[in-house]
Amino acid sequence: MKKISFWILLLLSLLLIGIPFFALILTSVSVGWQWPNLLPDSLSFRSWDYVLRGSSGTWRAIGISLLIAFIVTIVNIVLAVPAANALVRYRIKGKWLAEAILFAPIIIPPFVSVMGIHLTFLRLGLTETVLGVVLAHLSPTLPYMVRALITSYSTLSVDWEDQARMLGAGPFQRFYAVVLPHLLPGIAAGASLSILISLSQYLITFIIGSGQVVTLPVLLFPFISGGDPAVASAYSILFAGMAILALLGMDLSLKSYYRRKKSVSVNGRGAGNDEGTSFRPN
Amino acid sequence: MWQKSKPYLLLLPATGTIVLLFFGGLFDGLLKSMGYFPAIGEVGFSFDAYTDLWNSSSFWSSLGLTFRVAFLSSIISGLLGGVLAISLFMLHNSGKNKGAGLWHRVFQLPLTIPHLVGAYVIVLLFMQSGLFSKLFASMGLIDTISDFPVLVNDPFGWGIILTYAWKEAPFVSLMVYPVLMRIHGSWRDASRVFGANNRQFIREIALPVMMPSWTIAVFIVFVFTFSAFEVPFLLGVTYPNMLSVHSYQLYTSGTLADRPEALAINLVLSGLTVILGLIVYYFSKRWNVLKGWQ
Repeated sequence: MKKISFWILLLLSLLLIGIPFFALILTSVSVGWQWPNLLPDSLSFRSWDYVLRGSSGTWRAIGISLLIAFIVTIVNIVLAVPAANALVRYRIKGKWLAEAILFAPIIIPPFVSVMGIHLTFLRLGLTETVLGVVLAHLSPTLPYMVRALITSYSTLSVDWEDQARMLGAGPFQRFYAVVLPHLLPGIAAGASLSILISLSQYLITFIIGSGQVVTLPVLLFPFISGGDPAVASAYSILFAGMAILALLGMDLSLKSYYRRKKSVSVNGRGAGNDEGTSFRPN
Repeated sequence: MWQKSKPYLLLLPATGTIVLLFFGGLFDGLLKSMGYFPAIGEVGFSFDAYTDLWNSSSFWSSLGLTFRVAFLSSIISGLLGGVLAISLFMLHNSGKNKGAGLWHRVFQLPLTIPHLVGAYVIVLLFMQSGLFSKLFASMGLIDTISDFPVLVNDPFGWGIILTYAWKEAPFVSLMVYPVLMRIHGSWRDASRVFGANNRQFIREIALPVMMPSWTIAVFIVFVFTFSAFEVPFLLGVTYPNMLSVHSYQLYTSGTLADRPEALAINLVLSGLTVILGLIVYYFSKRWNVLKGWQ
């Protein structure tokens, strides 16, 4: 049985991961790949040269994508921390309503709302601006941040804050020294999702940015809908790589934070509740 | 007073943002779908856009296509994801935990790939002159490019279905695997004592255990595919197209007269996803899927 499941996994990984990545990488360095040939006629880094060095505006697009994702994530954290706090720790009348409002953008596709608000944004001068795009990215990302922080708050006992209060810590000290370290894994998980979702938005960025706010998906779209396959593949790899690197960076910085924590505190367990997503096994 | 209103004040920034930006947009869209648009001097209300929609054959064919694509995508990704989760689980059970953990991480990779890239991968692999076509040709299975079936930009929606089947299979597996991992090793031993082989163990224990969360995962994929835009926009055809694409094409077609109809499609689409979402929510609560059992 071990053998069978191993072979099934190998086959699936080839089918789901190996072949797709192989196709992208090979196409990105191919020149004139004629039909029945299983391999390209010749290889060149022409497309990579165009994407990374030419006047293609790739770096600017990456910069704008990351800037928008970063601002969106910061705003999400600021909005979600108090909201999660209230939802977990207080008795609230109409809690279901607050939750329904906060989680609605997960169910209802955000482009519906964006198309509706488009003309109003136009009148307010928010279209074609980074600010407008940031505002448009908030509703599809905020629910995930709230969700991640709710998980964090529900494992944080009020007693710990009371202890800190008895030892004379003020509200800001309590938040900084007790609450924040405990929330960090949740913030990191929420931030990862928020960055990932913001980076991969095409339609709502395109509608609100009107093609003037050129994020990486907006830049690469014309290529993958019928442009040069080599350039399109190079952009695709870059786009996928940017998302994966952003996630890895988040993961690594969190790990290094705990490593530093561990070396200074005696009780180095920290707040290591791993809630990447609440579905992730331990 | 402060103590009483404090939680509501804490909630206000987040809910206010969503109400303003998200529900504001929905409401704005609703008004404009009914022809209320003071900026261009339209202040009357009418249901013309909705009656037009009801009588338009392109709307119904879009709706049909949307249901078909969402159904097939979710079923295929569900089957792939289920096999994936069970294989991971059996590998885990048969000893080396490290190996299974590594495999599990590897299969999360497609989840992080943006949908646009996923769609393009399907183009490269499945278009008529794509990699699989080249592979079949060099094996002598097909002679000309046109022997390979049209699977990308096809009226049936196979390209879209293939993309989601591929992208969401790891998601289904990610939802199901933790539930399987709760099956105690002792259950496996007990089943062996009663003479069950691996296949019986999977059929009698693993499958029933994973069924509720599997169903919910498949349903989530369905709801998601139902309203997705990017992949059908890239891999679909002009007619018939999925609802989201149909709406976008009406909205950007240039004439202001089509915009109420586009927004009406959006609201119908939202209404359907809300109903589907509530069904998912109801059953996931009832089956206690997200918490599992103790």
